[in-house]
Amino acid sequence: MLRFWLSFSALSTALVIAAVLGFLLQASWPLLQSQGLGFVTEPDWYPYEALYGLLPVLVGSFWSVSLALLLAVPTGLAAAILCAELLPAHGRYLLRFSMEVMAGIPSVVYGLLGLWLLLPLLESQLDLLTGRSLLAAGLLLALMILPTIMVFSEAAIGAVVREQRETASLLGLDWSARLLRVLLPQAWPGIRVAVLLALGRAMGETVAVMLVVGSLDRLPQPLYNLLQPAQTLTSRIGREMAEASVGSVHWAALVASGLTLAVVAMALSLLVQRR
Amino acid sequence: MAVCKVCLAWATQLNTIDKGMDKMRHRLLTILLLLMVLVPVAQAVEQIRVAGSTSVLPIVAEAAKHYRQLHPGLSLTVSGGGSGVGVASIDQGLVEIGMVSRELTTSEKIRLQGKVKQMAVARDAVAVAVSKVVYEGGVRRLSLAQIAAIYRGEIKNWNQVGGPDGRILVIDKESSRGTRHVFAKMVLGSETARAPGATIVTGSNNEEQAAIANSGRAIGMLSHAWLNDAVRAVAVGEADKAVLPTFENVTNGSYPIQRQLNLLVSETSGEAGHLFVDFLLSDQGQRLVQQVGYLPVR
Repeated sequence: MLRFWLSFSALSTALVIAAVLGFLLQASWPLLQSQGLGFVTEPDWYPYEALYGLLPVLVGSFWSVSLALLLAVPTGLAAAILCAELLPAHGRYLLRFSMEVMAGIPSVVYGLLGLWLLLPLLESQLDLLTGRSLLAAGLLLALMILPTIMVFSEAAIGAVVREQRETASLLGLDWSARLLRVLLPQAWPGIRVAVLLALGRAMGETVAVMLVVGSLDRLPQPLYNLLQPAQTLTSRIGREMAEASVGSVHWAALVASGLTLAVVAMALSLLVQRR
Repeated sequence: MAVCKVCLAWATQLNTIDKGMDKMRHRLLTILLLLMVLVPVAQAVEQIRVAGSTSVLPIVAEAAKHYRQLHPGLSLTVSGGGSGVGVASIDQGLVEIGMVSRELTTSEKIRLQGKVKQMAVARDAVAVAVSKVVYEGGVRRLSLAQIAAIYRGEIKNWNQVGGPDGRILVIDKESSRGTRHVFAKMVLGSETARAPGATIVTGSNNEEQAAIANSGRAIGMLSHAWLNDAVRAVAVGEADKAVLPTFENVTNGSYPIQRQLNLLVSETSGEAGHLFVDFLLSDQGQRLVQQVGYLPVR
């Protein structure tokens, strides 16, 4: 009986995912029908001229998320190691508590902080015309996913069983060898999940990114220029969803953006789980 | 209310039948059932929902304050989103009144045919707004051709138009915004013209106002009522004929970038919305229009 209910719940979860994908596919059908899959690599987004190219937002999302991970994974992991292995109990509690508080702050608050603190800082320090840029979005996202990475990695490292640590010590391994050869490899599955969750949050974050990214539907010039205003998949959906009338091609194009986001997220998660 | 009583009776009955069982659980059940019945009842109160243009928003918000006092039982909610949202949400039946700060496009007219009544409630100028630093640095006037060149990316530095040396932060608006339609039509030649010179894109008047104020070198398009000390309007036109977006210049038609602010009232969802629009068009309503910084239509 228990087995039946377990498999029933598991199956319904899978069905929900399939239903979501099915809905997204159905709602974006008007676009797919009229433009095929080519819109993914088109550089122009201009609904009034029936142009729905996704390339600029794909590039924008790619850079902001990559930058966030690049910054947050090493720092988050370092904080996790510090917290799990080096700090005395009191400091550990304090660090973990502050990270948990950080994780609980709503994203719009991060967005406002970015608007008031980060943008003027970038403008004055880098002598930019405007601080609104992929760099700003990446920095803000890094801050937002840092607690996720830190808290989950810390739990994973802390969960390595005592025998493993003791055996490592008895073998005469010094601290760095113990960390690199025993603890991190043992905790790796947990850390992987932490990074995956953080990646999901960074890709899906909307409000905070919308406030600082500049929302300009244009490819960065050159492609790796992070100092220019740009647009991400989520910020575009956030800005335009309410004004598109349901059933129009514009609406379908926005749903297709959401579908793209979902597909990329699933592909990444599958890729990470395989290894 | 009858349904509500039946449910209450049923819940109390349950309470008496199972005396042996935990009373607390039944009390919870009663409350839950009551809530389930009462929430829809509460929603059935007469309501007007308004959404759309943030240029029209100050008028409706101010009028709503007064209108609520006159009609205490009425639920009246006002939210922004832009003219595009105003049209889309009345089309989808999400609101009783949509706010639109531009003329409807042909396709919108076809879509809304017979469903809504369009009423102009105020007149407004779309100001060409610049940061205070730029204004005080000498940019007091721009011709339509200069503004167009800035938005096309042909003029990139303030010193090309008599201002201080410094690149221009060109602020565009989301393409469905009413303010952008009106501005783009007068300046760039068509409501939906692209602006390749744009540096960033903002949404509401509020967001744009903040972006101009926070930058020392920005230009943007802003409803006249949103100007302030940090966000100044420049006169528009050729040297001797340049005009500021003042009430007089809008009234006598000499300011070029002006428009009507409209409400779209649903024809299918009852009287309440129409009565509210009547209030806005009354003497008192039109005084409120003036109070928040727009021109009355009557």
